[in-house]
Amino acid sequence: MQSTNIIQIENLVKRYQNLVALDHLNLEIQEGEIFGLLGPNGSGKTTAINCLLALLKYDKGTITIFGEPMTPGSYDIKRQIGVVMQNVAVFEQMTVRENIDYFCGLYIRDKEKRRQLVDEAIAFTGLEDFTKMRPKKLSGGLLRRLNIACGIVHKPRLIILDEPTVAVDPQSRNKILEGIVELNRQGSTIIYTSHYMEEVEQICTRIAIIDHGHVLATGTTEELKQMIKTGETITIEAIALDEELLSGIRNLPHVFDVSYEEQTLKIRLGAARHNLVRVLNYLQEKDVRFGRVFSELPTLNDVFLEITGKELRD
Amino acid sequence: MLHLFRYRFLQIIRNFPNMFWALLFPIILGTLFYLSFGSAGLESTGESSWDEVKVAVVKDRGTSENARAFEEFLAQMDGEMLDIQDISTESEALKALNEETISGIFYVRDTPSLTVAKNGLNESILTSVLESYNQNAAMFREIAMTRPEKLMDALNALDDYRNTTAEVSLGGKDLDPNVQYFFALVAYACLSGAFLGVQSSVDGQANISALGARRSITPTHKLTLILIDMTVLFMIHFFNILILCLYVTRVLGVSLGDDIGALLLVDFMGSMIGVCLGVAIGCLARISYGMKMGVCVLFTLFPGFLAGLMFGNMKNIIELHCPLINRINPAAVLSDAFYCMGIYNDMERFTRCLVILAVMSTLLLTVAFLGIRRERYDSI
Repeated sequence: MQSTNIIQIENLVKRYQNLVALDHLNLEIQEGEIFGLLGPNGSGKTTAINCLLALLKYDKGTITIFGEPMTPGSYDIKRQIGVVMQNVAVFEQMTVRENIDYFCGLYIRDKEKRRQLVDEAIAFTGLEDFTKMRPKKLSGGLLRRLNIACGIVHKPRLIILDEPTVAVDPQSRNKILEGIVELNRQGSTIIYTSHYMEEVEQICTRIAIIDHGHVLATGTTEELKQMIKTGETITIEAIALDEELLSGIRNLPHVFDVSYEEQTLKIRLGAARHNLVRVLNYLQEKDVRFGRVFSELPTLNDVFLEITGKELRD
Repeated sequence: MLHLFRYRFLQIIRNFPNMFWALLFPIILGTLFYLSFGSAGLESTGESSWDEVKVAVVKDRGTSENARAFEEFLAQMDGEMLDIQDISTESEALKALNEETISGIFYVRDTPSLTVAKNGLNESILTSVLESYNQNAAMFREIAMTRPEKLMDALNALDDYRNTTAEVSLGGKDLDPNVQYFFALVAYACLSGAFLGVQSSVDGQANISALGARRSITPTHKLTLILIDMTVLFMIHFFNILILCLYVTRVLGVSLGDDIGALLLVDFMGSMIGVCLGVAIGCLARISYGMKMGVCVLFTLFPGFLAGLMFGNMKNIIELHCPLINRINPAAVLSDAFYCMGIYNDMERFTRCLVILAVMSTLLLTVAFLGIRRERYDSI
């Protein structure tokens, strides 16, 4: 079955005076995906989302959603979109249920249908025991769940989640991520922005790495990892290695980067069999005593590091 | 639609800090006014009158034209509003003032002056007497210099005014300077709708709050949301003002006139001005919510101050020196409208107030609407 693009962004340019926030951004998102927009803070993720939602004016480019141009007056498109903002956006003066019902009412007029949808959203986010509480009384994790419930209560076809797990404890974070996967399973297309690569790696079916307002690479996690030289990173705790020894390691097959800082040896190698065995054999030959040894496959951070020359967490 | 009204209504009335400023604070302030003035003065908006205030008059040796005129003026007030004691030297007068057997000392000089020992109702009356004299003297000097041929007409007009007020008070009511405070209070309360307006404006702007962004991306038309917000705000604040007016008239006994229709009209326009002022302040770009509330306090209390909320005679002083301020200060216009209804029954002046209020309401409504109608922003 051929996938269809439900979002198409072409050559999107957004400037804030002299600062170029989006620099000819191009994106295509297909129906049924969990699409990850990964980039450091300030890379342009939220600006792209705000342009997509027709909240921000942009200087150049086109945005189409469900095949139609997106404008502030595109109410039929807006009806099919649910948004979970980075900042919690609920009314402090209303209870959990009232908040969800209010936001549902902005999409759904029918009272009975609304009641059913609100009940489902409460159950989905596990807020059954907190329906009569005001947001101020909720923990950070529950508040985030309420934020999500308000955004998805009308069962949208497209859900945009802008860093929904910021400042959330690990347990709530896992629950939120499981919920997102479930929403996708129920038929919604998801756009998920984050600077937490583990989350993106865990749930996204396709990822765009974005920095300085343009897309650096797009693909599945595996496709992105194959784009880079690093196939494996070996980390070894070792005492007093001299330059001659490090030079020897550099000359081992498939090794392309060696660093030694604070008694930790880090070796990056291309994808090949028996990399670890070769390195350990060499150290034993040279009678080097070492402690713990780690071998890691490349992460999205490695992908980002190789593409941009800087850590994603910077 | 109805459920959006309902939730917006709940959200606004449950916002305790804002409702405190818009409803409770004016009621508390009114109660404090009532307690500090005592009930005696307030009854004078009915048919009663106050006791004469005991004073001493001290004359300087060499008397000028101005001093003689002031002495004559005081002599006319003796028995009406003042009870001039038989004290001739300054030292005796000061002793009497310290012993609180008199409330003040008028000095008959080229530039008349007044000495009081404390703040209070009697002292306010004496201040008003002096202000009133200075005001009239300044007016006559101005007429004498610019239109000397009209001086006699002006003097006759003043005599006519004196006769009228002495025998049959306009609107059938005597004037108590303290009542000014209550008119200014209701006017200030109308402007306090700004506190509700700011919150509503912030909740509707995508470039100011996350809530605004969330509401802006829904399929409900922005105009519908604005209409719901404004209607609910007007309703709530209009009701707030009605509660205050009921409290001021029924509990505190201050008359706001007998024309209920006119009172409702002024209250409605006052509420609208307050709410729109807040919505317009809420639209101010890129200042924090706290700052906006600070601006709100400034834009409600300062006009209230100019309208006589902290010093009852302030509006008259401004009227004397810069009347334009009283025409463009919504609190002063509102206070004046209440004054016309409660004291004067002066339809011409009342109509002028209504016209100014209508223009202000329309202008502020337009500014507020232009501020919040935007759907797409340069930056968020």
